[in-house]
Amino acid sequence: MNPRTRHALEFTLDNLVWFMLVFVLVVFSISIPNYFQLGIFANIIEASSVLGVMSIGLALVIITGHMDLSVESVAALSAMAVGILFCSAGIGLGVQLHPEWLMVPVSLLIALVVGGIIGTVNGYLVVKVKMSAFIITLASYIWVRGLVLVISGGRSAQDLAPAIRWFGIQRLLGLPLTAWITISCFVIFSLIMAKTPFGRHLVMIGGNETATFRAGIRVTRNLVIAFVLAGAIAGLAGWLLVIRTSGATANLGVGLLFNAFAAVVIGGVSLKGGVGTLPGVYAGVLLLSAINTAINLMGLPANFTQVIHGLLVLAAVLLDAFKQTIRQRLA
Amino acid sequence: MSGAQPGMSEPLLVLDNVAKNYGAIEALKGISFSIGKGEVVALLGDNGAGKSTLVKIIAGGLEPTSGRMLFEGKEFLAKSPAEAKAAGIETVYQDLSLCTNVDVVANFFMGREITRKFLGIPVLDEPAMEQVVEKALASAGTRIPSLRTNVEHLSGGQRQAIELNRFVHFGGKLVLLDEPFAALGVEQTRRGLDMIRQVASQGIGVVIITHIMQQAFQVADRIVVIRQGVVAGDVARNKTSPDAVVNMITGETLAGAGPAG
Repeated sequence: MNPRTRHALEFTLDNLVWFMLVFVLVVFSISIPNYFQLGIFANIIEASSVLGVMSIGLALVIITGHMDLSVESVAALSAMAVGILFCSAGIGLGVQLHPEWLMVPVSLLIALVVGGIIGTVNGYLVVKVKMSAFIITLASYIWVRGLVLVISGGRSAQDLAPAIRWFGIQRLLGLPLTAWITISCFVIFSLIMAKTPFGRHLVMIGGNETATFRAGIRVTRNLVIAFVLAGAIAGLAGWLLVIRTSGATANLGVGLLFNAFAAVVIGGVSLKGGVGTLPGVYAGVLLLSAINTAINLMGLPANFTQVIHGLLVLAAVLLDAFKQTIRQRLA
Repeated sequence: MSGAQPGMSEPLLVLDNVAKNYGAIEALKGISFSIGKGEVVALLGDNGAGKSTLVKIIAGGLEPTSGRMLFEGKEFLAKSPAEAKAAGIETVYQDLSLCTNVDVVANFFMGREITRKFLGIPVLDEPAMEQVVEKALASAGTRIPSLRTNVEHLSGGQRQAIELNRFVHFGGKLVLLDEPFAALGVEQTRRGLDMIRQVASQGIGVVIITHIMQQAFQVADRIVVIRQGVVAGDVARNKTSPDAVVNMITGETLAGAGPAG
């Protein structure tokens, strides 16, 4: 194979998800009436803001060669904590702060800290105690959701304080501020992964943990930070979730994990670790959202979405395996 | 062959009765020898003699059960590879220590990236790193098509060249090489041995583990043989012969009880 073909092939593999996104958008625009509108595209971005943020955290951990199944429940717990404190109806306590805007940083901080704490627990057990990330975070996925049920008593909180809700209503260039928060998160974390030693180290740890340890990189510390970040980012996703729904229910966000998982894998992050970039993950998120929007527009029963998502996850994992085979051929 | 004469150089690293047990199994029963500045010591021994264990202890990957080490005259024990590196000990391991999922430059600078501050945040200085790698590889005569290719696309020889050039570049005070030439061709091995002499001539101590007697005699000032966790021989290269060393390794008596050569 000559170098140019190989280069083209590698470029295609690296950016496969962007090609798929464009392809899907073009096909939907042609085949589904009313799909090709700015409002629809804005909606695709808007609808994916919670999923997008959650996928960042999940991707970070998977790139290091580990796994975090707890992100969905962590987001729900953060959302519920903010919901109970700052909602005025249902189980909401309706806490008021003066001046009102103070509720924004305080609620955000609470969401981040709640997520960060769960992330720390996961990180400690996986990295320091050296237990399987799959099992530990699966356990967290279950007990954290249980905690949401316990503190809410299965009931919900409604009517989020307007000062916080403002982020979901106020628009800039046609997109709500929550969507901009997601986009900035992607920009910031993409830069961290690509341009800083910390990001570079995470990728290398995912590639060959022994080598990075021998090279004097503080592997344990970096891995724990990755888990804490994943937790805190999931907390941020929960904060966006509570704003989006203007309240919190006990089953808030159920099913998001598998969407996030699908987005990350479709986005080109290898489950083996060490491979994948965050811009790709964002394309994966948008791709899922574009498909969801298409399902809605076509008026398919909502029950179909779950079948399609399941098939997408399956397709994504198969794609991952397929890409690895091609890469091995290339090597 | 030039190089510092053994005995003349002051000791850089002294091992004093270093032992390592795994439960009831004694991997190292008590190893004592020393390495001088600018001295090349070949560490020989049969499979399972404890050579790699010893290297890991010096390099901070394993903690010894007992014994002590003196590095530059001071008590020394590296709890992690990072500590050993900070003290000036570079290691090239038997199984390659490269991350194949990133490019040549990233591997060369693994854990030691050149950064510049942007708003107080350390940012990778890619052009600067690329320049250094280019220079280092060129001066060693290693040809790699693109420094931005991921290492997974490189041959075994090219990979090992990256590791060897890495230690030549970063130098330090002591270099440990655990079978560094396993994947190299004849010409590359010759160049690798030259590199070792060149590094030693800068006053850096070198410990090289090898199975190939010829290489040991080509490059080493002193030969240390480990057998069953103890030092079975510690001789200057010019005062011994390959046959005598083989006898030390296999445990035949030194006097040459084996068949005449």
